[in-house]
Amino acid sequence: MKEIEELDLPGDIYYTKDHEWARKEGETVKIGISDYAQDQMGDIVFVELPETGSVFMKGEEFGTLESVKAVSEVYAPLSGEVIAVNSELENSPELLNEEPYSNWIIEMRPSDENQYDELLNRDDYLEMIRG
Amino acid sequence: MSGSSDLKRTPLHDWHVSRHATMAAFGGYHMPLWYETGVKHEHCSVIAAAGIFDTSHMAVLTVSGKDSFLLLQHCFSRDLERCIGRQPGPLANGRSVYGLFLLEDGTVLDDAIVSQCGQEHYMIVVNSGMGAKVSAHLREQARPEVTVNDHTDQIGKIDLQGPSSVPVLASLLKNPEDILRDMVYFSFKGALFPAASGSVYLQDGTPVIVSRTGYTGEFGFELYVSVSDTLSLWQQLLAAGEAYQISGCGLAARDSLRTGAMLPLSHQDIGNWLFAATPWSFVLPWHEKQRGFSKSFIGAEAVLSGRESSYTYGFAGYDPRKIPVEDDTVVLSETGKKIGRVLTCTTDMAIGRIGERIISLATPEADGRPVDFQARGLSCGFIKVDKPCRSGENVQLSAGRRTITVEIREDIRPDRTARRSIEQVRKQTEEGRR
Repeated sequence: MKEIEELDLPGDIYYTKDHEWARKEGETVKIGISDYAQDQMGDIVFVELPETGSVFMKGEEFGTLESVKAVSEVYAPLSGEVIAVNSELENSPELLNEEPYSNWIIEMRPSDENQYDELLNRDDYLEMIRG
Repeated sequence: MSGSSDLKRTPLHDWHVSRHATMAAFGGYHMPLWYETGVKHEHCSVIAAAGIFDTSHMAVLTVSGKDSFLLLQHCFSRDLERCIGRQPGPLANGRSVYGLFLLEDGTVLDDAIVSQCGQEHYMIVVNSGMGAKVSAHLREQARPEVTVNDHTDQIGKIDLQGPSSVPVLASLLKNPEDILRDMVYFSFKGALFPAASGSVYLQDGTPVIVSRTGYTGEFGFELYVSVSDTLSLWQQLLAAGEAYQISGCGLAARDSLRTGAMLPLSHQDIGNWLFAATPWSFVLPWHEKQRGFSKSFIGAEAVLSGRESSYTYGFAGYDPRKIPVEDDTVVLSETGKKIGRVLTCTTDMAIGRIGERIISLATPEADGRPVDFQARGLSCGFIKVDKPCRSGENVQLSAGRRTITVEIREDIRPDRTARRSIEQVRKQTEEGRR
């Protein structure tokens, strides 16, 4: 397992307390899991993705990640509609371990931009992990 | 990790931590689940190359004295007069046998490998944390001329598993040809109690017990050394195994490998319930016609009376998705009726389905493995149900919002190597390297 100092935590994205990340790209947002999350889970062997067009409320489960250790839910950092899913993960779930930030899971169109303010920045997230 | 200070540590503990292994409590020890390479890599290394596991948490007992044989006949589920070979003959010096210690009510105290070191001297390996309980159980059976000793804290144990184990081990042993020649499955050489009586040494003079056993379903060895020699042996194995892509492996890979090989985990797949219909009835001393036992022993009557109707089966799913094994996890029949509970559910990452068949990374191309086969893994494990099921029948495993469909199986991962001869795996390794 990585030491906290070894974690890769980019400063230009948002984080959640459930270890998702959200990267704002104009009017849409890409969502994935943090380096800390993938390191804790161990090898991810299966990814269950939602249908494009599904609508999720902030905090709602949108998919599951199957690691060797457990089944983990992933939650929507913001409310909105899924406009794309990264179907490459269906055949290569290990991409989430290898490159957790370039390999997003879903892309959403947020219904309430104000919700960005409720997410954690890098420093808040790091502080939370340190406990 | 919180609370790790209360846990026991193996002689390799600091090595695991220094390599950033993901650690967890298991059987009272602070043990590695996997290293930075990840469990899929570790699992597949044992199928295709070799892996080493720290199994120093296992408890090692010796039973010696004039009545040792009688004590074990009374307590162990195998008939030591009839347990070796096709027309079973007696356990002999240098041979081992797997079985159970049952209690009077037919429940399982623990599983064990019993090895005969001499006419009145046996080594018994049981699960971590079980040394004191099994010792006490054996001592309670009051045989005056028997001594039971627990050597757990003096012994380090490393499992070297996988088809490339032979050249790795051979490069470390003094006189490897003599040691490995004719070494059949479930036999061992060497001694540690005392080491002076042993005949197997590493090239640096370290005494070692080399046993052709393991708990992965794959070809390999279990190696026993003193606690102070354990780290050196581990490092020597890693160095010698580098050319063969050897991996350090944690308990997660051990769990997925043993499950795919249809081997039970004590206190999870067998335990404090009646040992009834299971895939492991071979551990009982059946007469040829499977109607009664060839000896009497503790628990025999309860097992034969079969008062509790429960059936344990192996299963494999259709993709890698598992079900969490929790209190509310149930097994449902095809009509949706609750018929039992899940004992183990993990993912064997070396296998996948092609049509009706399960194919392994180790399945030969000539036997149907496509050249471009990519193992995506299948969930697998054991269930305990209250009605008999057919092999090939589908049942559902359900927990909370998740339900998965799995198939009842007599076997899970095909083309395992555990029983191959040393010559067969040596040939295979050499061909693979060309």
